[in-house]
Formats: sequence, structure tokens, C-alpha cells
Amino acid sequence: MDYDLGADAAELRKRLRELISAHIPEGFLGACTDDPRDLATTESFCKLLASDGLLALAWPKEHGGGGSSVWQQTVLREEMWAHHEPRGAQYMGINWVGPAVMRYGTPEQKARHLSAIAAGEVLWCQGFSEPEAGTDLASLRTRAVPDGDGWRVTGQKVWTSYAQMASWCVLAACTDPNAPKPKRLSLFLVPMDRPGITVRPIRSMLGPHHLNEVFLDGVEVFADEVLGEVGDGWRVMREALAFERVGIARYARCESLLDRMQTELGEDWDRLPESIRSRWVRALIDLRVARLLAYRAVSLQDDPSAGPAASAARIATTTCDQLVAELLFDALGPSALDSGSSAALHGAVEDHWRYAQAATVASGTIEVQRMLVAREALGDHG
Amino acid sequence: MKTALPEDIAEFAAVAAKRFTRFGGPQAALRAETEDHLRHDARAALADLGAFDLDVRSAGDDLLAAAVLGQAAGAAALPYPLVEELLAIDGARLALVNPDAPRIDHGDLAGDWIAADLDGTRYHVHPSSRTNAKLGPFLVPAILTESDGTVSAADVDLHLTLGSWRILGAVQQALEITRQHVTARMQFGKPLAEFQAVRFTIADASVAVRGLHELAKYTISRTESTAAQVRSADALILRLKAADTARQVLRTAHQLLGALGFCDESDVSVLDRHTQPLIRLPLSSEMLALRLVPGVRGGQLETLFSDPVAAEPV
Repeated sequence: MDYDLGADAAELRKRLRELISAHIPEGFLGACTDDPRDLATTESFCKLLASDGLLALAWPKEHGGGGSSVWQQTVLREEMWAHHEPRGAQYMGINWVGPAVMRYGTPEQKARHLSAIAAGEVLWCQGFSEPEAGTDLASLRTRAVPDGDGWRVTGQKVWTSYAQMASWCVLAACTDPNAPKPKRLSLFLVPMDRPGITVRPIRSMLGPHHLNEVFLDGVEVFADEVLGEVGDGWRVMREALAFERVGIARYARCESLLDRMQTELGEDWDRLPESIRSRWVRALIDLRVARLLAYRAVSLQDDPSAGPAASAARIATTTCDQLVAELLFDALGPSALDSGSSAALHGAVEDHWRYAQAATVASGTIEVQRMLVAREALGDHG
Repeated sequence: MKTALPEDIAEFAAVAAKRFTRFGGPQAALRAETEDHLRHDARAALADLGAFDLDVRSAGDDLLAAAVLGQAAGAAALPYPLVEELLAIDGARLALVNPDAPRIDHGDLAGDWIAADLDGTRYHVHPSSRTNAKLGPFLVPAILTESDGTVSAADVDLHLTLGSWRILGAVQQALEITRQHVTARMQFGKPLAEFQAVRFTIADASVAVRGLHELAKYTISRTESTAAQVRSADALILRLKAADTARQVLRTAHQLLGALGFCDESDVSVLDRHTQPLIRLPLSSEMLALRLVPGVRGGQLETLFSDPVAAEPV
């Protein structure tokens, strides 16, 4: 038994921290802010990472990636999320759209999309959720009606992150409403500037650009834009999302925030109420456990028990996100509500609390994760 | 990184579990409350497994073997002070105590005892007799003499760590019993396992137990490789998490087993009552958390971002 990530992973962590320190401004809180310079920061940082072979670190070299170990990928995931994801929306293309194209794409699709993603030149969004199909994605209603050699897509997507900035979308639509549920859907790789696509931002507590509605009004899609087989979208979607199994390394952001907050408080930390300091200890312990559960899930990889292990890791880390948000707010008192550069950690605490509310909702709700863990323990009852 | 136990250790764990089943499992522990010879039989079972040949202070495979042995003993509520004997000093079993209210599990067994608190202060011990308590039926109040030197921090850390592996075994077994119960027990015409509230409760307990298992493996794998202060913090962290997890999982077990779980004919009742000393002693998890507070700013409570802690001069 050995929990060392390896010398190459340690070296990578050091290198990433140096790059972030040199190129990401202090107080950076991600791409989705009111300040357009933040989006520009992520775009230039992605190109920098790409030029160093770090953006698509996990990808095979033949597709423009770095061919790294899973532990180097883990370090990349931790350091990026800890530092407010300076890749911006790129992680979606890198983490699952690209790998899905590698597995299911045609040679033409691979040639068109993979090198562009690896170079940090394009942003992707994911057109899955609908007003009446969130967690129950197989029930989505957006229709793709045959039209000539392709289809016309009509419907509405919602909660579509990054839709305003994305140049491409993985669009899920129903190609055969009479087929059994798992065979109704197909996935299309569609440019966002195609006529008939309208994006409307939704104001939310998460900040600008994050949530959007996407209206599809007779959007033309072509046969060569289908990812995988027609009618096989549900399977492709499920398998593709499994690339994101372990998900975001939320524990790393939490550990970083607690570390930065403790440094900022200095000796005042010792004067926090005993109950807060005790909760701080417990939070750090829970974060260690969440990190170890994530490592376990990563180490299992293709093992049949990898799915429930990843769900357990996600339950632990998303719960920690909210626990740390409340802890930091309680530690700060009234000033916790302040935002902007004059607030604690340049607004990172307030930002974290808002985003933490979505931790147990985004990318598979905690209820779904519990269902998956329970299924392993109890079988398919219910 | 290798997060799985080595194969030979996993095999040894399976052999130990079988031997403790042959001993009689938690129901034998229940009988041992009134039939003293069973505690000697428990020791014989441990001796069969080579427990007392293990050099736990040497770390490596012997320590891992002791950990999984403790885990199997915890699952069976084995009525014997295994950790205390594995860490014996000059033939005297080592007990961790709270000097404000010293109690020693199985302290009435023949043989010498040494007590130490979490600071490593060592005491001579005069155990009295058992009080036939429901919670911790083998607990013996003890009188400590004036402090008598020190016990190494490494021994205190190992004691906390190996005791946590016993707790791990107990909670894994409690969860398994609960899992079997909810899949078999019919209510309103269907198994309890078909109710979503039950499924989610089992899922939460399962995540807690998985997390404790990972933490236990991680902690024991690095006892030799970390600075002494970090190792001590690691041991406190593991014990705190083990105690908290036990409280959650045993509560879940009682709730889902209903009245059956309170009855001694159910292993959950025995596991709960017999594991209480490990969960509560030498300090509550609240007190363990307070002991860890200075380690936040001191860096002993390691994170991805804490600065390395320099080794203390010997």
C-alpha cells in the first residue's frame, strides 16, 4: 500500500503552481464573472497550458495530449479547481467531450475537433437538460425530425453552462419518439452559430454566463454530425459522462480556501470561538477523507466497483463543499456577505458559498449518487 | 499509488475472520460477559493466528497484519484486549486512559498493566473489578499511581490507530447486518430496502464506512514515513473519524433494525455495547478535535496546501 502520487505528479504540482502564480492575477475567481478580463485570462492561460502540453494532459499523444498518468491528471484536476479553474469552460471539452469523440467519433470528427480542443481554441457546452428533463435525461423532449439527409431540431434546453461563450454544443435530441426509452436519443456535434439557435442568459446567484436557456427553432443538423450511432445517444451520454466519474476536485478548493483564510487571519485564528476551531478540524478531516475516496475511485479505474466508488467520492466532496462554505461564513461573521476585491480572500469566500449551493445539484445530484451507492449495497430493489 | 491492501494481508484478514466466526462471533462475546473462560478462548484464537508473534512496532507487514486482525476482532466483538497486548511493554499490557476517570477494558484479566494518557505520561495501575456495565461490560475502573515516566509517542499513536481498526471492523459488520436486515424484512408488502428513505440512509452509512476504511489504510501506510508530530495528528484524526463514524453507523443500525437491534440476540446490540469503550475512551471525539486544534496552524494536520512539518530533533 502506497499513497505517494509519484515524483512526476509532485513535479507537475510545483510547475502548475508556478504557472498560476505567474499568469493568474490575485483575486481571480474564474471565467464567469462580471469582469470580461477574467474570461480573457482563462483564454490566454489555456493557450499557455496547451503550448506546454498541459491542457490535454490526460489525452493520448496521437490526439495532441500529454499521455500522462492518472495521478498526474488528478494533480491537474486538484490544482486547477483549487485555483478557481483558470481553464474556464475548457474543462468540459477536455474532460469528456474530447474523450467521447475519441471513443465514438468518426475519423472526420476526430480530425475536426480533437486538435482544436487540445489547443484550447474552442469552447463546448452541453445541451442536455430541459425544462421537463433534468436528472431524468432519457425523457427529454427536444425533437430531431428527419429532413433530407439530416434532421431539423426543435426544442428548448435549460441550465446550459457556458452557452453564451461556447462555439460548439453536444446536443441531445429525440430522433425516434416511438422507440424504447434508451433508444430514443441521438447526440449531435453542432456549431453554436448555426441559424435557429438562440441563447438567453438566466440571472442566477452563481454569476453571469453560467446558466442559460438555449432555444432550438428548426435547427438543421447533418448526418456527419451524429456522435456515435443514431438512437444510441443515451448509451453514449452515460458512457461519456463516466469519463467525468470522479468529477471536480472540490476538496482541493476547500482545502485551499481554509489554508488561505487561516493565513489571512493569522493570530486572529486562535481567537475564533472554540466551536469554530473545532469545526475547522473536523472539516479538514472530512476533506482528507473526501480526497482519499477520490483517490480510491481513480485507482479502481475500469473495475466494476468503480462507479459506486466514484459516487461515494462525489457525495463526500460535494457535502464538504457546503460544510466548508458554512464554516467560513460563520468564521467571518457579518463580513461574510461582502463581495468584491475588498472582501475576505478577494471575495473567494462569498463566491464559494454561492457556488457550493450547486455542488449537490450539478453533474448528477446527490440523490442520484445515493441511488447508485444504495444499488451496490442493496441491489435493484425500488 | 496503491490503495488496496496487499494480497497476503487480505488473505490473512479472511483467515482471521473465519477463525473468529469459529470462536462464535459477537454471540460468544455476549456469553463471555458471564463465562470467563471464553476470554481465554479468545486469546487462544488470537494465538492460533500468530497474533502474539507480530512485531507491530517494526511497521511493515506485521503492522498491517495487526491492523486487519484488529478489524476482524472488531467485527466479532472479540472479548480480548488485543491492541493492549500487542503493545505490551516488558510483558505488561498497555492501556490508554483518561487520568481524570481511568477505566481499562478487560482490566480484570490476570497479568500486569501499564497505563498511559495521550500525552504519553505513564502510570502504574491498580485495576479494581468489573461493574457489569451494559456499555463496555468488560470495563474496569482503575486507580493510577503518580506518573511514572513516559511511554513513547509512537506507542500512543499505534494504540489509537490499531484501536481505530477495531472500530472499523465493528462498523463494517454493523452495516452488513443492517444491509441484510433491510433486504429481508418485509413491511407494507415489500422489503424495507425498497423504501427510498431506507436506501438513502444505507447509502450515507456506506459512504461513511468507505471513507473510514480509506482513512484507516492511509494512516497505517504512512506511520513510518511522516514526521512524528504529523503521525500523532494522523492517529488522532483516525480515532476521531472512527468514533464519529461508529456513532452514525450504529445509530443507523438501531434505527433500521427496530426493536430487534436492542436485543442481545442481535449482534448489533453486542457490537454496540462492546465497542463503546473504544468510541468514548480515552477521550470523546469532541476532546480529540480540541487536541487537534493547534495542528491546524502548526501544519501537523496536513493538507494539499500545508507546509511540510520539520521533523522534531530526537
